[in-house]
Amino acid sequence: MKAPPFAYARPTTLDSALELLAGNDDAKVLAGGQSLLPVMNLRLGAPALLVDISRIPMLDRIVVDDDGAVTIGALVTHAAVEASPEIASHQPIVAAAAPHIGHRAIRNRGTCVGSIAHADPAAEMPAVCLATDAMMIATSTRGDRAIPAADFFTGFLETDLADDELLAAVRFPASPVGARGTVVEVARRHGDYALAGLACRLVFDGDTITDAALAYFGVGPHAQRVAPAEAALVGTSGDDDALDEAVRLVAATLDPPADVHGSANYRRHLAGVLCRRAVTELRSETGEAR
Amino acid sequence: MSPDGNQGSGLGAFTGTSVKRVEDHRLLVGEGRYVADVVPDGCLHAAFVRSPFPHARITGIDTADAKRLPGVVTVVTGAEIEALTNPILPFLALPGLYTPLYHCLSSERVRFVGDPVAIVVASSRAIAEDAVELVDVTYEPLPGIGTLDAALDTASEPIWPKAKGNLLYDHTNDHGDVDAVFADADHVFTETFRCPRQSNQPMETRGILVEFSADGEITVRAATQAPHMLRWQLAAYARKESAAQAVKAFATNTERRTAFVDAAKSFFAERGEALQASDNTAMQTQMKTDPRTALQMMRTGAQLLGRDDYPHVTADDIGGGFGAKGSVAREEIAVAAVAFALGRSVSWIEDRMENLMDGGQAREEEMTLSIACDADGTIRGLDVDLVLDQGAYPGNPIGAPITVRIMEVMQPGAYRFEAFRQRSRIVTTNKGKYVAYRGPWANETWARERMVNVVARRLGISQTEIRRKNMYGDEDFPATMLTGPSLDVTCSVRKTLERAEELADLPGLDALRADAAARGKRLGIGFASYHEAAPGPPDYWESVNPGTSALLDQPATASVDTDGKIKIWTSQMPHGQSHETTYAQLAADQLGVGIDDIELVYGHTSRAPFDLLGTGGSRGGPVGGGAVRKVGRGLRAAVVAKAADMLEANVDDISIVDGNIHVAGVPARGLGYADLAARVVADGETVEGKDGTYAFNVEDTYTSAGDGGWSVATHVCWVEVDIETGLVDIPRYLVVEDCGPIINPAIVDGQARGGVAQGIGAVLYERAAYDDDANLQASTYMDYLIPTATEVPRIEVEHMETLSPGENDHRGVGEGGMIGAPAAITNAIEDALDVTVNEQYLPPTRILELAGVIEPD
Amino acid sequence: MSDTMNETHVALGGDTTISCTVNGQAVSVEVPVRTSLSDMLRSALELTGTHLGCEHGVCGACTIVLDGAAVRSCLMLAVQADGTEIRTIEGLATDGTWHPIQQAMHDHHGFQCAFCSPGFMMTAVAMLEDDPNRTEAEIREELGGNLCRCTGYESIIDGVLGAIAEMRDGDGGVA
Ligand SMILES: Cc1cc2nc3c(=O)[nH]c(=O)nc-3n(C[C@H](O)[C@H](O)[C@H](O)COP(=O)(O)OP(=O)(O)OC[C@H]3O[C@@H](n4cnc5c(N)ncnc54)[C@H](O)[C@@H]3O)c2cc1C
Ligand code: FES
Ligand code: FES
Repeated sequence: MKAPPFAYARPTTLDSALELLAGNDDAKVLAGGQSLLPVMNLRLGAPALLVDISRIPMLDRIVVDDDGAVTIGALVTHAAVEASPEIASHQPIVAAAAPHIGHRAIRNRGTCVGSIAHADPAAEMPAVCLATDAMMIATSTRGDRAIPAADFFTGFLETDLADDELLAAVRFPASPVGARGTVVEVARRHGDYALAGLACRLVFDGDTITDAALAYFGVGPHAQRVAPAEAALVGTSGDDDALDEAVRLVAATLDPPADVHGSANYRRHLAGVLCRRAVTELRSETGEAR
Repeated sequence: MSPDGNQGSGLGAFTGTSVKRVEDHRLLVGEGRYVADVVPDGCLHAAFVRSPFPHARITGIDTADAKRLPGVVTVVTGAEIEALTNPILPFLALPGLYTPLYHCLSSERVRFVGDPVAIVVASSRAIAEDAVELVDVTYEPLPGIGTLDAALDTASEPIWPKAKGNLLYDHTNDHGDVDAVFADADHVFTETFRCPRQSNQPMETRGILVEFSADGEITVRAATQAPHMLRWQLAAYARKESAAQAVKAFATNTERRTAFVDAAKSFFAERGEALQASDNTAMQTQMKTDPRTALQMMRTGAQLLGRDDYPHVTADDIGGGFGAKGSVAREEIAVAAVAFALGRSVSWIEDRMENLMDGGQAREEEMTLSIACDADGTIRGLDVDLVLDQGAYPGNPIGAPITVRIMEVMQPGAYRFEAFRQRSRIVTTNKGKYVAYRGPWANETWARERMVNVVARRLGISQTEIRRKNMYGDEDFPATMLTGPSLDVTCSVRKTLERAEELADLPGLDALRADAAARGKRLGIGFASYHEAAPGPPDYWESVNPGTSALLDQPATASVDTDGKIKIWTSQMPHGQSHETTYAQLAADQLGVGIDDIELVYGHTSRAPFDLLGTGGSRGGPVGGGAVRKVGRGLRAAVVAKAADMLEANVDDISIVDGNIHVAGVPARGLGYADLAARVVADGETVEGKDGTYAFNVEDTYTSAGDGGWSVATHVCWVEVDIETGLVDIPRYLVVEDCGPIINPAIVDGQARGGVAQGIGAVLYERAAYDDDANLQASTYMDYLIPTATEVPRIEVEHMETLSPGENDHRGVGEGGMIGAPAAITNAIEDALDVTVNEQYLPPTRILELAGVIEPD
Repeated sequence: MSDTMNETHVALGGDTTISCTVNGQAVSVEVPVRTSLSDMLRSALELTGTHLGCEHGVCGACTIVLDGAAVRSCLMLAVQADGTEIRTIEGLATDGTWHPIQQAMHDHHGFQCAFCSPGFMMTAVAMLEDDPNRTEAEIREELGGNLCRCTGYESIIDGVLGAIAEMRDGDGGVA
């Protein structure tokens, strides 16, 4: 199928991009196009104006602060995230997510920030944002705002972004001392969107978990954390009893959907399995804190 | 010598070796010519308005807005196209079967999601799609029939109002005294097996281009496995003459009429008895249910026979078909009809969504099998109750009816037993149409090989032992299957099983299981064996559909033109099978020349010999290849005779090596094909062939009733099931196959592996999913999952090459991989989980349900 | 590029001009704004070697190499390719000499219908140019975004392994 007609603008400054977004109802940002163009090719979406942000300077940067916080600009591709040594060393959980996303050719075009803005319920990056308390840096002609990940994902393919706002960057704050993170998921085929996935970050003090983040994807309308299970892990070493309780709470809390790829019970079960796998992996991890 | 290093001289040098593909020289550099690649100047593009409902009445359709859109040339609705087209007619009749008549577009009622209701033609595909969105169709939804149970429910809304319900065929055949055997046996075991809908999914979608040349000549280019079939159907259905016109044209065209009458006479003379014996009731149900059938058949027949100037069909490269492109699409008829009416070139290239809705689906069957056996594992009898869901519209021309016949004939497999009963039912539902898909009957193998394993488990004997014990072996031949076909040494199934057992290292299995268990996985192993009629013995097709064997005959031509170039003409329509290479191998060996000295002519119906079915049914090697060898032999004889004459030698002393035709021992005084051709010209001995004058031209037909034999295999699959996630891994897969002497081992391996990959897809990934109300749930490649390089393992292929007593030894391999794989994989999963597996489709959710890890929702 | 660096390029429908380099040649074509890159290649430039199997990013048949990286040409607008450097299957052979990947696919009977072949070969070329030292598992993973319905992949994987061996041991080009 071919995309429906639209107008196209390729601003070369951020300001003109924001003006285009402010001045046009039904304008959409075009970043990597790896979610927007399939939607349009299938005629499931027909925006009137595409604002191609690819030629705006500075948005393709990965900026690392002294404390290890990492800011990823709107044009940084999944492939660039995957290849970045800075991200690997300062935000390994972000780096860990990238190879799970689609396939090479998709990662070469699709952007990390675009994936967050698109907010697919089964996408990895939104969950990583939740697990790391990332900040979304939104900008518009009305000004800038920083939106905590916890407030950002509001529904199925829905976020807190206003129509005229551009997501300029995502900022991952410095990892706490003792943090370890991983992304685990199960997909039907290698590279598919996950049936269920988990971005898990645990903060250890010695053997004791002092903070836990279990951010799931693919098990609800949007990525979500499971606070009761996180609480069950805190103060423990992630031992088998604590894990059993956490897994029970994961199953009790989540209300996953059923679709052609898997039943609700299956996804609920899988969420528990992923919790067990992630915590087991992280608790046995030694050496450098993540 | 060819640039590929493909070297050979004399008879038999190429056949049997992995000659590199001739096709690659254009395909690997991006110079293939697929139907979407040809867009003549000024070509228009078509798109279809399709039903979003599984089942609904059309109460209104408004095309005004669409027609007003700049760039739109025409919009034709279902009601309007009836003035341009004839309804599509049944092709093969079965006693008791009702086949609905229908048009290329729907006008009053839609019957599945994707049912085309109007065609838009515009200056670009994008604009045509814009216009599709502007066509306003009003639907009054009807209950959607999405399950077999709903279809069998006599109270359900009939999808085809002329039929009483949605059961279109119900027939039982007994072979032997079934009741007595079942009463006498120690045990009777019964299980029901279900296979959901799958889809062929060639990487290239369907497509058709109707091209008008500057002088008005029409050529139809299409992604079709059967160009002659498409040509005839377009002539029959994509035009509409008045009955009077049609009859008059036929009556006044003496030549056509005489030819037809002669053909009919000889047909009935040859086959009348068989027809009378089996088929005289075939059309009764049809005529009673829809009396229009007779009239329409006569009228369409007259239209078809009255003229012979209908457009030719051509195809160059085709991106796979797997049976789906053996069907004539309703869309193709609609596009052709509208293009003919407009007098302009029109192209329709199907998109993937359309392909998933309407490009062909297959294999949705439910089968209840009862096996009667004795305590020692001796199988005594088999009783099968088959229900097949053909979807909304009948396959055209090949679909459910012929499939249930083949399923019945092949159902006993290579097992010896005393009695067999099969009840076959065909139902219609609100789903996409059921087409032939690589080994269309394959679920007979799946269900039988599953059931054999069930029996083995219940009796506590191994899956290999029960097979060995009950299978025919050389000592039993000649034998006859309960369903009719005869078995000879080519039915070497048991030998493949025994070889597979050796290669499978069964003593090492326990260690493998322990190793998997240590990694939290459960290992299982599954065997499956089958024989397939590729081509089958002479009595095979007579058992399936008496009186129609002639349909399977394959003509071919071998010629040398006046410059000495050799051409082989085949009615096969390659779409990935590498005919240009394998037929060149066969012909080059016959004619003592190199691979590159042979040009294969196929595709264009003005040149390709006539054969309705084209490529399909694993007939390329045995029957198409048989025809090539036959005309190759004939041509060699003619060439040798002429050369003997020129060289003043005895024909028996002539030898041909590297294109040098000489008296054995004196190659220096040899002649080339060009020399020979020049002499033929000089002597005034040229002959007229299909499209020109030739020095030599040999035409012949290979009849599949002539000889043949079975193509057989045993598949062994090892699985590792992750009991936490339900993911299934295939650490090893083995195929031991016997298709007789191999023409090209690399090509045979490729066919086997490709088929197994589709079998892996069928079990673990692919489902043309509908909900119970027949709403389609898999209309993109995000939902219809084709396995990738990370899911398909290396597949070991071991060859055995049993010679057949017949004339043509090469047997078919196109379908076997797909026939054996679902059974081997599901048997392995059953072994791993130690539970009875009744479904073919086992996604992770189902695996964990079977393992008792989770409850169904 | 058709626009200067500090000017917004706007196309309100209608046609737009795309300038880019395709297989080493500078080209400039006018296409409707909504045209996908794949359609631009296939229709406007008549480079029909790039195939369309799904137009929603999954099958990989349309994969080309853009500025050195494998991308889906069906998931790019032609206008997004303005100013880029593109390679397609038609540009793989040089002066009639096949690229090692083409030769290796031929030698290993890589493809059957070959509809998927442009996508596989362009993906493989980008992968090998990035890093030619690849294990079979890595190759399978990198080619995992390309669907082939005919072969079961083994022959394609063998083709890539063959190309790697050829590029390592041979002098690259093979007649
Ligand atoms: C075959 C296939 C497989 C895939 N598999 C996965 C997978 O496994 N996991 C996964 O996470 N993703 C997957 N994706 C999607 C991919 O990750 C996309 O790259 C990503 O979702 C969107 O990024 P993009 O830059 O391509 O955004 P676009 O497609 O350009 O845009 C997507 C949406 O986000 C909006 N948007 C983008 N950027 C901004 C911005 N800066 N500010 C405001 N709005 C913006 C757009 O307006 C649009 O609505 C897959 C895609 C395909 C085609
Ligand atoms: S056509 Fe582009 S991925 Fe399928
Ligand atoms: S060779 Fe046919 S799809 Fe790959």
